[in-house]
Amino acid sequence: MSVEAKAALLAAATALSLLGVTFGVSPFLRPAMAAASKERSTNIVSAAAVRDLQADAKRGHSLFDHNCAHCHGDDARGDEGPSLYDLSLSDARIAKRIKEGVKGEMPKFGSKLNDADIRALIAYLRTLKS
Amino acid sequence: MHGGTTHFPIALVMASALFDLAGLILPDNPSKTRRVGFQAAGLCTIVFGALGAFGAVGSGLVMSRGQLWGAGNLARHHLFLWPAFGMLIGLATWRLIVRDRGSSRGFKIYLAGSMLAAALMAATGYWGGELLLNG
Repeated sequence: MSVEAKAALLAAATALSLLGVTFGVSPFLRPAMAAASKERSTNIVSAAAVRDLQADAKRGHSLFDHNCAHCHGDDARGDEGPSLYDLSLSDARIAKRIKEGVKGEMPKFGSKLNDADIRALIAYLRTLKS
Repeated sequence: MHGGTTHFPIALVMASALFDLAGLILPDNPSKTRRVGFQAAGLCTIVFGALGAFGAVGSGLVMSRGQLWGAGNLARHHLFLWPAFGMLIGLATWRLIVRDRGSSRGFKIYLAGSMLAAALMAATGYWGGELLLNG
């Protein structure tokens, strides 16, 4: 067998192994991060002395995790996007920003989230207080 | 962090394909150093591109909370990413082992693979951008 053929076999084995490792590690990453995020958020909400986390805010939290956390951070304290704590914007302004985005900075979510989703997100954002 | 790390492998894989193509089609100079230089550049860039891909994939997995597929633009991003990542690792491994011991035919097949990987990386980057801009 030529060196090229041996190299091709080894290359395929290496690539498949590394893809396997990546796919194998990934499921372990998900619950650990979600649990850590939930724990942090819960602590923060408690500190803000919010009595009841309403159904809307709970759903908003889930929506946040799936749509916003990868830019604003798992705990909404900012990452590539800004922190969402202590927002001083009105609900209408927040809704507009979510729907229409910010050119070059934040994508539009108007086609992905309906008004009820946006209300739920805002309800969750209102629980984020330092 | 993903936005920063991801551009290195994309650029390096494309550069590698271009260097190798230049080494193949451009005439060598009298001192016979041009082709060797392009091939060395092609080797370095594919190896660093593959190393950089680990940072890009790792930061992406952290950002997406371990999602390997997802939905919408994230799924489209991953559709190109996983073949590109696998090919990139395979190509870099092959190139590191073979170096200058390969045949002309083997190198042309490698170059075709390298161009395909560059195209897949470009498509991955495109859908990553769509994900960022349009959710």
